[in-house]
Amino acid sequence: MKLFEYQAKELFEQIQIPVPNRRFIEDPDGIGEATNRIGFPCVLKAQVLQGGRGKAGLIKFVSNMDEAYSQADAIFSKAQNMSGLLIEEAVQIEKELYVSITADPVTGTAMMMACSEGGMDIEEIAKNIPEKIHKINIDLSEGIQTYQVRGLLYDIGIDDKLIGSGTKILMDLYQVFRNNEAELVEINPLIVTKDEKLIAGDGKISIDDNAIFRHAQFKVTRAYYENEAEYDAAEEGIPYIQFDGDIGLMCAGAGLTNTVFDLVNDYGGTVANYLEFGGPNYHKAKKAMEIMMKNDIKVLLIVTFGTIARADVMAKGIVEAIKELQPPFPIVAAIRGTGEEQAHELLRSMEIEPLIDTEQAVMKAIALSGGVKQ
Amino acid sequence: MSIILDQSTRVLVQGITGKEGKFWTKHMIDYGTNVVAGVTPGKEGQYAAGVPVFHTVKRAARNAPIDASLLFVPPRFAKEALFEALEAGIKKVVILCDGIPLHDAIQMRKAAISAGAMVIGGNTSGIISMGQAMMGFFPYWLERVYRPGRIGIMTRSGSLTNEITAEVVRAGFGASSLIGIGGDPVPLTRFAEVLPLFQEDPNTDAVVLIGELGGTMEEEVAEAIENNVFTKPLVAFLGGRTAPKGKKMGHAGAIITAGKGTVKDKMIALKNAGALVAERPRQVGTLLESILASKI
Repeated sequence: MKLFEYQAKELFEQIQIPVPNRRFIEDPDGIGEATNRIGFPCVLKAQVLQGGRGKAGLIKFVSNMDEAYSQADAIFSKAQNMSGLLIEEAVQIEKELYVSITADPVTGTAMMMACSEGGMDIEEIAKNIPEKIHKINIDLSEGIQTYQVRGLLYDIGIDDKLIGSGTKILMDLYQVFRNNEAELVEINPLIVTKDEKLIAGDGKISIDDNAIFRHAQFKVTRAYYENEAEYDAAEEGIPYIQFDGDIGLMCAGAGLTNTVFDLVNDYGGTVANYLEFGGPNYHKAKKAMEIMMKNDIKVLLIVTFGTIARADVMAKGIVEAIKELQPPFPIVAAIRGTGEEQAHELLRSMEIEPLIDTEQAVMKAIALSGGVKQ
Repeated sequence: MSIILDQSTRVLVQGITGKEGKFWTKHMIDYGTNVVAGVTPGKEGQYAAGVPVFHTVKRAARNAPIDASLLFVPPRFAKEALFEALEAGIKKVVILCDGIPLHDAIQMRKAAISAGAMVIGGNTSGIISMGQAMMGFFPYWLERVYRPGRIGIMTRSGSLTNEITAEVVRAGFGASSLIGIGGDPVPLTRFAEVLPLFQEDPNTDAVVLIGELGGTMEEEVAEAIENNVFTKPLVAFLGGRTAPKGKKMGHAGAIITAGKGTVKDKMIALKNAGALVAERPRQVGTLLESILASKI
C-alpha cells in the first residue's frame, strides 16, 4: 500500500524528521485559508500516487493569491485520483540529496541507499552512474548503528556541518521503515537549504500489504485505486489490473496469468483486464466474474492449472457465476489440475468446451474477440 | 536419485493437525514420503494421518531424528515456526504459505544463512523428487505433469510450473526433482543456490528454470553459468515479457521498478551466458529435444 506524500510527511513529522510547513486541503475552497497560513511564495502539490508530478503540471509554484486560486482550480480539474492538494512553504534549495531504505532479498537485510544527486533524475543516475549511489546493509535483529549512517553520509560527500543532523534523519527514517513495516521509505529530494539545514522535500512510503494486519492505522480507501473495479478487487484481496483491449483474462496463479498475458500480446490480441483468482482466492470465481463484468470485454479467457487451487472448485464457481450473472460475452476456458475431470463435466454442462492446451485457448479467444489487431 | 529430498529423508510436519496439513500429509505418505512426526502445540499424544503429534519441534526431535521440516502454518506464524525448526537443528525446511510479512521474511533469510540451513519458500507448492517423496502439495496423480525423468526443474510459480512441466512431459521427458522456490519478493533460497545441487546430481541431465519478472534471481543464474558453477544445459521460460512497467502483476515478487528486473533484461542475460530461452511454453519441450539425445 503506497501512502500519499502528505501521509508520509505526517509520519516523518511524528518522528521529528524536518518537513516544510504545510496544509492539506481536499477541495479548492480551502486554498485561501491554507495559503494565508503558509504565506507566499508557496508550492501547490497534487496528492496523487503516480510519479512524474512535476512534468505532468501537478506541482506549481505560486507567489500571490490570484495565482494560487487559478493554479489550484487547474490542478483540481486536471488531476485524476487525487486525494487532495498539499500547500507547502517554498524552501530555498541549495542542493538536493536522495535517501531510501528497502529490503535486500539476497543478504536478508535492510538496505539504506544515498546519493548526492537527488531529485527528478535519480532513476537515470541509478542506470547510468550507479557508483554514485552508496549503500549500507542493516541487520534487522541488530538494528541500525550510527557509525554505518555516518559512513554513508561521508561517502556521498555531504558537508561536515550536516553530518550530525543527517545522521539523526537517517536513524529516524530507519525507525519509520521498521515501525510501519514498510517495503520502501524514500526522501527524494532531501533538501540542503540555503541556510544549511536538511529538510524532507518529498516522501514516499509503501507499506507491506502482508503486514497491514499489524498496523490498523492504515486504511485502504477508494482514493488509492484508479477505478472502481480495482478497488473492489483489492477489497477481496484479488490482484486486478485494467487495460483497454478486448480480452478479459481471468487466470489462476501470477506466473500463468503473466504467461497468458504474453501469449495474447504475441498472437496479436489485446487485453482488457487482468484478474488473478488463484492461491487463496480460488473459491471466489463468482466475485471474480462480477469484477470482470465491470469492464467492457468482448471475450472472457479463463486459464488455470492449479494444485491446491482445485479445478473442480473453480469450475463450480464459474458455473454459478454464469447462471446468476448471465455475462454477455463468450467464454473460453482451459481449466486444468487437481479435480479437472469434474471441472470439465461442469463446463460441458454449460456448453463451454473444456480446453487442455493454453495456446489453443488463447487463439480461440483472439478469434472470438474479432481477430488479430493491426 | 534426486536433490534435497528422497525416501530416506525423515520429515516433520509443523501444523499437521490443520485441514490442509492432514490432507496433504496423507498424500505425502501415499507418495512414499517418510513422515515421522507432526507438531501442533496442545495436541501431543494425538495422531494425524497416522503420524504422532508433539507439542514442540524439540519434543518431536527427542522422539525420533528429523532431517527436514514442512511448515503448514499461516503466514503470520511462519517466522516463529522457522526459528523453532532451526533452533532444533533442522537443516532443511520448506515453507508453503503465501503472504509472509516482508520484514519477517528478511529476518528469516538472514537466520537461514546464519544457521547454514536450506529453507525453501514461502509462497510455493513445495518440492518433489519424482516417484520418491514430496514436501508440499502436488497432484502427483496427474500423469500429464508428474512423470519421473532426468530434468531438474526450479520455479518461482505454481500454476505456471504445471503448464511448463506438462510441456516437458509432452516432449517425452520427465523430471528428477522439482524445486518450487516460491513467488515471494524474498525467496528464502534463491535459484543460484539450488543450481549446484542439480550440477552434482548424476540423475539430472539438464535444468528447466521457470522464472518471472522482478528481482535479480535469473541474472544470478546467468552469472553461475558464466562462472562455470553450472555446466549442464539450461532451458529457461520467463512469464511477464510484455508486462507494463510499474504494475504489480500478481505476485508481490513480480514487480518491475526503475528499469530493473524486466523479463527482457533477464532473457538477454541468460542467452549471453549460453542458456536456451523459450519464448512460449511449447518451446521448452522442443529446446530440450534439441540438446538432449536421450529422453529417459
